[in-house]
Amino acid sequence: MLRTLVYLDADLASSIALRYACQLTQVVDMKLHTFHVEEPDHDGHAPGTGWVRRTWESAMLKTGEFEITQLIKAEKSSCPTLGAPKMIVGDRENEILREIQRESYDLFVEGSLHSFTAKKLYDKIHSRLYRHIPCPVIVVKNLVNLEKIALIVRGEEESNKLVSLFVKIFSGAKLNLDLIYCEFQEPGKLSSKGIADPNGTLNAVKKNLMEQNWHPKDCRKIQGAPEEIGDVLRDYGLIAFPLHHSINKKSNWFQLLSHIPSPILICWQ
Amino acid sequence: MRILVAVDQNPYSAHVVKDVAKLAGNTWADVTLLGVGPKVTDIRQSLNKAGKKHPLSEALRTYRRNFLDHFEKAESPYEKRNCNHEFVEVKRGVWEELYICRGARKDLKILLRSGNPVKEILAQAQDDDSDLIAMGCYKAGDCQWEGAVNLPQKVANGATCSVLVIKEEKKIRKITCCLDQENISQKSIEMINQMVTLYQTELEIVGLTDGTKLKPMVGKNLNAILKYYNAQQIKAWIKLVETASLESFISKEAKRSMMALWMGEHALLSKIFHRGKVEKLIQGSESSVLLLR
Repeated sequence: MLRTLVYLDADLASSIALRYACQLTQVVDMKLHTFHVEEPDHDGHAPGTGWVRRTWESAMLKTGEFEITQLIKAEKSSCPTLGAPKMIVGDRENEILREIQRESYDLFVEGSLHSFTAKKLYDKIHSRLYRHIPCPVIVVKNLVNLEKIALIVRGEEESNKLVSLFVKIFSGAKLNLDLIYCEFQEPGKLSSKGIADPNGTLNAVKKNLMEQNWHPKDCRKIQGAPEEIGDVLRDYGLIAFPLHHSINKKSNWFQLLSHIPSPILICWQ
Repeated sequence: MRILVAVDQNPYSAHVVKDVAKLAGNTWADVTLLGVGPKVTDIRQSLNKAGKKHPLSEALRTYRRNFLDHFEKAESPYEKRNCNHEFVEVKRGVWEELYICRGARKDLKILLRSGNPVKEILAQAQDDDSDLIAMGCYKAGDCQWEGAVNLPQKVANGATCSVLVIKEEKKIRKITCCLDQENISQKSIEMINQMVTLYQTELEIVGLTDGTKLKPMVGKNLNAILKYYNAQQIKAWIKLVETASLESFISKEAKRSMMALWMGEHALLSKIFHRGKVEKLIQGSESSVLLLR
């Protein structure tokens, strides 16, 4: 069973992420663990040690406790296995990292709403948490039905890594899978062809998947500007995306990533 | 709901009538088809010796037929029904035979006014207490009416009710709506619903941020709206836009989506989006525009 950590704050992004994660449990053998970090205000340093600190921390936790519990309560009917959230006081990124390392989770899910400007996503990808996270991440940008998944094919090596991650997470799931090969062009020339790319990467990835009992329904090369391709990919309930930590803000790959409105499964390279 | 459809004799008006018929079919709205033309003393008489009728009277008749053709006769809320003499108790124990017309359940009015088209359209909307003014314009160029400079733009700016400018024969893929963030009215949500149903399209709801986070109240509102649309099986997306980039977002998005903007009296958008910008949006938009009030 896949052990998944879902990070929650008392906001819209987390509400969407939790609902999406609950959807995931219906297709994947997965146990959700919810987690919340109550961050002190910027000048709110922890006072002292011992009972003084414990009293301060428990007062801090009370602030977020009610709303997080409400969030979980609202989803309990569609997701009966949801347990009580784990809540601690501290620095959000450090505590999440510590929790993932301590409990060796297989997957991390968090909400981050789709945004017109790419800055927020760029900062997230380059955050300390994402640079050190030892597991794949699903960034839930919107709440969509998980019926169809797209695997973004890049180089063969990157794609094979993505395939093994995908197979590990979705083992036994019954979902439609498409392979998408992107070729970036000037805007206004969007085209989509159901053919293999000349160097055979799509074919090789397809073969790899088929050997593991996954039969992609469609293997497609999409040519267009990142924004146009992102728009095409909105039909998918999840986009599995190979990503390098060093990705440049101006690169077409990052632009594509920021324009996709659907949830993204990030496979770190 | 009462819809005022402003028409002339051009194809974009025929297209609007078709769309409004669908909308009226879903909402059972009272509808006024309004043409504004040259002044006449007697509409029944020919305008000149050659026997030429008033140019709009024939067009309005055709639009009425097209509008009614959208409905099955038996089920049409606009179909006139039988008139008969019936006894009706007018006072306790006093019965009077009255000529009763079991008329249409909903009102379809065909009107012709003369004068300045913008003023007449706005005056009729006022007289009818309309909830929505619908009108078309050429898709190509800058959304004009034949012979009336910037008419849709002027009506959109001058109206106190919602205005829908439908661009001719443009397939609407997505409706991007920017509602009032903290006080979203039920009326605006219902109007958006009608548009989504009418065009069978996806919906993108804009959440405005100050660059960091959504205000908690806005987040709660958007969450409630999202749950509502999900329950209606409508595919709804959320997109965050910084208030500072809203103008560039709208001009970019208008190229591929129908824009629906909440422009109520105290709305945030009315403060950011002044008259000139509304005109520019209607002119520059590739798709239809809905201004909610």
